[in-house]
Amino acid sequence: MSEITLVIDGVECRASKGETILQVARKNNIYIPTLCWMEGLTPIGSCRMCVVEVAGNAKLLTACTTPAENNMQVSTKTEKLEKYRRQILELLFAGRNHFCMFCSQTGDCELQRLAIEHGMDNVRYPFLYETFHNDASDPHMQIDHNRCILCLRCIRVCAEKVGAHTLDLEKRGWGTNITADLGRQLGESPSCISCGACAQVCPTGTITLRDFVYRGRRHDCDDQVESICPLCSLGCRIKAYVRTGSIARVEGLSPDSPDGGQLCHMGRWWLPKSTERTRLSVPMIRDGSSFREASWDEALDLIASKMSPALKREKAGALISELSTDEELTVMSSFFRDTLNMEKVDGYYGNMLRGFVRGFKPFADQGVRPFTSAHHILESDAIVLIEANPQEETPVAASYIRVSAIIERAKLINISTEKNPFDCFTDADIRTTKKGMKTLLSALRKAVEEGEENAPENVKEAARILREAKKPVVIIGSKIAEEDSLLVTESVNLAVASKAFFDDGLGIVPMLRASNSLGALNTITGESDWLAESELDFLYVLSTGMVDEDARSMEAMNRSRFVVVHTPFMIHPLVNMADILLPAPAWFERSGHYCTLEGERRRMNLVTPPKGNLKGLSVIMKELAGKLGYELQSASAAPCENVYEAKAAPETARTVFLKEVR
Amino acid sequence: MIMAKPKIASVWLEACAGCHMSFLDIDERIVDLLGKVELTATPITDIKEFPEVEVGVIEGALGNEEELHLAKELRGRCKILIAWGDCAVFGGINCMRNFMPAEQVLKEGYVNTASTVNPDGVLPKVDIPALLPHAIPVDRAVKVDVYVPGCPPDADTIYYVFSEILEGRIPSVPTDIMRYD
Repeated sequence: MSEITLVIDGVECRASKGETILQVARKNNIYIPTLCWMEGLTPIGSCRMCVVEVAGNAKLLTACTTPAENNMQVSTKTEKLEKYRRQILELLFAGRNHFCMFCSQTGDCELQRLAIEHGMDNVRYPFLYETFHNDASDPHMQIDHNRCILCLRCIRVCAEKVGAHTLDLEKRGWGTNITADLGRQLGESPSCISCGACAQVCPTGTITLRDFVYRGRRHDCDDQVESICPLCSLGCRIKAYVRTGSIARVEGLSPDSPDGGQLCHMGRWWLPKSTERTRLSVPMIRDGSSFREASWDEALDLIASKMSPALKREKAGALISELSTDEELTVMSSFFRDTLNMEKVDGYYGNMLRGFVRGFKPFADQGVRPFTSAHHILESDAIVLIEANPQEETPVAASYIRVSAIIERAKLINISTEKNPFDCFTDADIRTTKKGMKTLLSALRKAVEEGEENAPENVKEAARILREAKKPVVIIGSKIAEEDSLLVTESVNLAVASKAFFDDGLGIVPMLRASNSLGALNTITGESDWLAESELDFLYVLSTGMVDEDARSMEAMNRSRFVVVHTPFMIHPLVNMADILLPAPAWFERSGHYCTLEGERRRMNLVTPPKGNLKGLSVIMKELAGKLGYELQSASAAPCENVYEAKAAPETARTVFLKEVR
Repeated sequence: MIMAKPKIASVWLEACAGCHMSFLDIDERIVDLLGKVELTATPITDIKEFPEVEVGVIEGALGNEEELHLAKELRGRCKILIAWGDCAVFGGINCMRNFMPAEQVLKEGYVNTASTVNPDGVLPKVDIPALLPHAIPVDRAVKVDVYVPGCPPDADTIYYVFSEILEGRIPSVPTDIMRYD
């Protein structure tokens, strides 16, 4: 890109050709007010707040859309511009209901901030007092069109980052409105995925989140803490707003990152809502149908007395959440594996993870990293879904798929036994049965390798797409990993045959579900599925209380004679299973690392200090080991590290024969 | 020669009195201020007739004939008119009724409201001043010299505006202390 030089407010600025005046000004710390513009979204220049004067041009130009040119002389702060900007603000205030005194967003509002900044102490234009409707049809979000300034940020984030394109405009002129799905109420929209991105970017009080409007505006909050969401394997970055020691709201971060600062419904609502749950703050021992409070000493003594005989009879087990941090998994692994030599240790998603590990093994043995960062879906030109439902498994990856397929025109191939999750824009939709899956995947791979001419009819189109694709990516659903690891291997074979190679590994995104699945592999994931048939005397359960326990785990707890549940919240039916409840710190009271599918080890930060009589996991395990007559050993396996480290370039991968695998 | 203290008159129209409360929040500075100015007709002194004054202050929007009349009367008797608060400056919360016709406003208030018992649907006529078609900011009816937005404006802002006027300047509220809520 060629270098250019221009002068903004007397400052000589260097820039690359193609950059806008606004981008150059920001880089040089020259402030230009903006309203509709937002980092990461396509600039549209609709609000006109960023108008600047350019020497030799009689018109005022919008800095956010005008490309900087060599030798341009730009003025951003003239009297004329100030006058126009204030006029724009007054017109916006006169247009709809912008009376701050009864708006929930006052203080957080960008329109208000700009008006004050421009000294708008009155409005010279007649107020229109037009009535627009207030769309309260959605259970989570509310759109009060009376507060709308038509900046179109919501439309752009919904289309460009979430890929849902639920929102768009209806009508013309002063009557123009944001609408969902060509004229529906938001609550009736089938395309809305309730991610709340529109509310996050809304500069005024138009789109608000019911749950958080009155828990504290951003400017009321005492603290903002950056952390990550522990609810799926992407580990999206979040910003938690803290007010008087509790979390008022959670927002996504950095709109210029690949995820565009979006969160899914889980991060947006589950995280802050979880703070409303009843906390478990002291150890509790079962007393008939209820519990009584106990000291840590008493609780651990009782646990040791039940655990000791169970260990001798090899009837002790541990079920540990894969939503735990690397550090917690290390402690668990050192206690149960290295200190007690227990075999019956596993996570909630053990079967799925074993499926992936076994399926990936032949390729890991070749030194190839068998997957890539999830956001690489955005760079792909052909996406293959194999029994995957990303909207359920890792919702932000579903956004990547929609954006890639709809905006970037990537081809989409769906292979599934059930409903196609992206029905409206799939280029090749292949349905099969559970039995037929392996044959189908093999046939498709063969057709990709040898040409689609002689291939079965149902795979022809998919094979053609994959043969033409330059950067395909294969998304493997968690369901097939649970069913048969050979299906995972064959899916990887398909990726290798399609030359799905990215810088960091094979073009594969496994839907790993739990947030720290990669961290769990080395540490707590068991060798086999003992949970399903176990008749245990003792079962220790570590739950984050954020995801409901599955039926299989609940049944295992039910069958066990003595169950210790270590969890932050009094959530049913989990606590019903417990003989002893130990309080654990909640997600906002912990810090540690997660190995995410975004290809990064991300840090979770402490948002608020723990309340109640909590103890750290390592302290508890050390004490318990002592009571059992052991000394806590250091962990032999570190989480995450060396899990699928790339020793060879993905291009060197070769397909494997399924017969050789077992 | 001792100059006579400048006189101030203020009136509370369609608003909640919060701006006058905020004025009283200037606390002990009021002693100092009263050494320099004379409060005449105000809700605080409870004097109703406006004399000729240097500074007139209006809190509240104009929503009915009486308020319109009082605003015009005060404007006629003061040299500098200040609009205090969001209601006087923008119309404020009173504008919520501007989204329906005035007749419907009366019906909503006197008949339709769930807590109202008015089986005959009697609407007030001569006994209260007639509603204007819209509740309007003060400057839609009379000229305003100083705008002090805020709901209410901070006591410091109110004090700042008086201090500036006493210094012989017509102030604008600086952006760092301006607020709309």
